[in-house]
Amino acid sequence: MPDRPKRLVVPSRRVPDLSRRRFLGRGAAGMAAASILGPGFLAACGGDDDESTEEGGGGAEQNENALRVSNWPFYISETFVADFEEASGLSVDYREDFNDNEEWFARVRESLEANQDIGADLVIPTDFMVGRLIGLEWLEELDDANIPNKGNLREDLLASTIDDGRRYSLPYMSGMVGLAYNRAATGRDITSVEDLWDPAFAGRVTLFSDAQDGLGMIMLANGDDPADGDIEAIQRAADVVAEQRDAGQIRRFTGNDYADDLAAGNVVVAQAYSGDIVQLAADNPDLAFVVPEGGGTTFVDSMIIPITTRNKAGAEAWMDYVYDKANYAQLISYIQYVPVLSDITEELEAIDPESAANPLINPPPDILDRLSTFPAFDDEEDAAIAALYADVTAE
Amino acid sequence: MAGTATSSRRRNPVAPYAMVLPALVYLGIFFLVPLWSLLRTSLSRNGGSVFLPTLEFDWAWSNYGDAFSDYRDQIVRSFGYALAATLICLVLAYPLAYVIAFKAGRWRNVVLGLVILPFFVTFLVRTLAWRIILSDDGWVVSVFDAVGLLPDEGRLLSTSWAVVGGLVYNFLPFMVLPLYVSLEKVDPRLMEAAADLYSSTWRGFRKVVLPLTMPGVLAGSLLVFIPSSGDFVNAQYLGGTQTTMIGNVIERQFLVVHDYPTAAALSFVLMAIILVATLAYTRALGTEDLV
Repeated sequence: MPDRPKRLVVPSRRVPDLSRRRFLGRGAAGMAAASILGPGFLAACGGDDDESTEEGGGGAEQNENALRVSNWPFYISETFVADFEEASGLSVDYREDFNDNEEWFARVRESLEANQDIGADLVIPTDFMVGRLIGLEWLEELDDANIPNKGNLREDLLASTIDDGRRYSLPYMSGMVGLAYNRAATGRDITSVEDLWDPAFAGRVTLFSDAQDGLGMIMLANGDDPADGDIEAIQRAADVVAEQRDAGQIRRFTGNDYADDLAAGNVVVAQAYSGDIVQLAADNPDLAFVVPEGGGTTFVDSMIIPITTRNKAGAEAWMDYVYDKANYAQLISYIQYVPVLSDITEELEAIDPESAANPLINPPPDILDRLSTFPAFDDEEDAAIAALYADVTAE
Repeated sequence: MAGTATSSRRRNPVAPYAMVLPALVYLGIFFLVPLWSLLRTSLSRNGGSVFLPTLEFDWAWSNYGDAFSDYRDQIVRSFGYALAATLICLVLAYPLAYVIAFKAGRWRNVVLGLVILPFFVTFLVRTLAWRIILSDDGWVVSVFDAVGLLPDEGRLLSTSWAVVGGLVYNFLPFMVLPLYVSLEKVDPRLMEAAADLYSSTWRGFRKVVLPLTMPGVLAGSLLVFIPSSGDFVNAQYLGGTQTTMIGNVIERQFLVVHDYPTAAALSFVLMAIILVATLAYTRALGTEDLV
């Protein structure tokens, strides 16, 4: 019987701290609950249920005085909406009803296909979903004249394989997928993917069930670059995972619920998102996040305007407001993910020096150099990748 | 009884049909139509693009063969877990229902209320609570470890034990309630009569009480077995990488892989096996009444 580490202190401010990424796991849980409790529960989950006050008609009808924003939960600062309303004169219907990319897509697919209102003028999905929406021609092209602050965007994010020159989407937040570990339990620092397979951690390691988030760093450890988008390299990484699964090394394949196992001490090393660990580490200094030596991956969530929008100019005004460096520093200070604007250190230092000094929020160049991103995949490839990893995770 | 009821109401032969009509309409819309659509999906092939799939009906029976051969392990595992959960529930629930029906006296309603009490908290929250109770550093694991009952993995969470345990916990009330109803209907004088005829307590139970409560055993077993075999929440949150049930596969095929025909075929395989198992079980118990 291996020695068990001491029980970790479970963060007491769990609920208010729930970040957007960690909330994703609750999305899956919510879906599970919905399937048991029936449609009434779904309706209850839909947030503010004032749908009845809206016109049910098509997307053509415009409303220049109001803006409807649909965002992930806990993904904005407390005063941001009110500040924007004051600055722009628009009244904003802000909803935190975006829980999961695929779930959202399933919900709005038929409406967008029929060019009917989806109840939002601006939405913030993850980049892979943005690529899918561009391919389906469901996004408004952005008018750069309305977004003078667009120039503040990081160069590397402007030249995106998903949306080159960012004609349809503007990044909102970025984050890193790396390894989180409990130093008290591991007894040593974790530096590479190889450490995940240390027999001392058998059954106490979790990986992401999402193919891109789960396999990216393993491909990098194999010497393959996710940016090449080579399906055979993805398969090789999946084979490594299958082998470790059969050996009993991997405890679970997780969504964003990995943080619970990590905080409870059931798991000592986990694939993790940087922003979550910044928050968890505030309560538990033993938790650490590292981008593996071989490299890790990044994700980007981007603001988009669906073709059914009722206020395109208002949505663009929102984007411009977000891209103001001082406003954006406020967001980062609250959300704790990685900025998508080039160098906001000065603005962040002015309001939150602690975050400005945190390498997980303001990564130094040597970490940024180790990060890679998957390219845009076409439908067939996207489906093939999901299927090949589902074969591994659903054994 | 039935005969007299019919004769007294002979004047309005339409009434019974009118009374079942709402239920029939409801079932027609919310059960038969989706079932039909699922059946068609299971026999279709994926066409169109991946994200706007169009299903082409094609009598694709191979979906069934593929679904069965690709996921045989999960199918076998699901029914193994469901069977284990049903048996454990039966063993736990029968004595409990017996005590509630015959020994609880004025506490009967309180105890029944306690059995139902967990339902006041969401299924999901209760399952997630078990993650905390069974955590590796918790006292439950320590106790199991001390008495040498800890599985080889050295933990409870993320093992088959936790999944079956979760199923038992979540579905136990479904076993207790029908058993209680059928036990409660047993006339205690029958037991007295058995005793008067020099039957031992055990023999009296086996020859009198048990046969009279078979409908409750059947109903309870079905109410536990059927949802257990299709469950995916317990395997998802209490299970590990090697405890996946058929429900998890169906969920993933529908929501992640977007392979609707395979997911639909798997759903029908699940349904067919449950149906056959149910019929066999009903015949074996020799009863057609459900309570």
